[in-house]
Amino acid sequence: MADIKETTTPEAVEVIDQDLTFWGQHRFMLLIFGTIIISIGFVAVSLVIYNVSGSAQLDLSRPGYQSVSNQVERDDNIDEYSASGSVNTDAIDDFTKLYDAQAVKAKAVDAFNGDPLNPEILQFGDPSASTE
Amino acid sequence: MISTQTFAVTTLSSEQESQIRENCVSIKSTLNQLHASDALLRVNRGQVYESMGAKLMNRFNGRLSSNGLDIKGLSLVSDNYQTALTNFRSDYQQYERQLSAAIAIDCTRDPQAFHLSLEEARTKRQKVHDDVIKLHQYIDDYRSAVNDFKLNFERLSEDNK
Repeated sequence: MADIKETTTPEAVEVIDQDLTFWGQHRFMLLIFGTIIISIGFVAVSLVIYNVSGSAQLDLSRPGYQSVSNQVERDDNIDEYSASGSVNTDAIDDFTKLYDAQAVKAKAVDAFNGDPLNPEILQFGDPSASTE
Repeated sequence: MISTQTFAVTTLSSEQESQIRENCVSIKSTLNQLHASDALLRVNRGQVYESMGAKLMNRFNGRLSSNGLDIKGLSLVSDNYQTALTNFRSDYQQYERQLSAAIAIDCTRDPQAFHLSLEEARTKRQKVHDDVIKLHQYIDDYRSAVNDFKLNFERLSEDNK
């Protein structure tokens, strides 16, 4: 214990500091800045992936989507058809029953129909303008 | 019937420009509502379409092929379905970006650019709708292919007896 106290006296620290290079003296700050820069890099990469992959379009927690975010159908109550097992007429009939029920759901909505971006619907549309 | 419509790009008359400037706030509000409701539609419909492919078509194909049965007809339709689903995803992505870009334009300052951007978004939305029609078509086609497969399967089973 006595030895340790002796080596950590202010004079001893000063001698050690003088022996260190600039980067050695500022290694703690270097660690902090390095960590921050690496974090910023990772965040930037994540944001690029988030935007490019199309996840952004599915993220209804973004600003502007709060009004609809509670209307997401969270119950995916579709029964999976077993990918293993023998094939006979009953197995095919089971599948068609499942499939028909799901097909009705899938085709129930004619999504993205209509023309809501038509200038006339948006109230500026007298098409008396010239066509280019 | 699938018809990809491209809307004619028009130059705005001065009257239309002033209409856009006057109604800018209400137009933007309408667009924001459409933006949100289309996003919800994309999430909910997308979920159903994904399930059709992953939980039903692929699994049924897998079961038949693991039993050594010929699934050429079925896999052709399910491959087409997957391609249509991929197009649906990417076309929606493009439409959403275009609509966001249109909403970001200051329509009081630049009604012409706003209008052009909206027309592009309109065309892209129509493309998404075409993708939906294709998906519905492939859902029906797959059902018919299952019927054909069943008939063939029953015939072969009787022949083997």
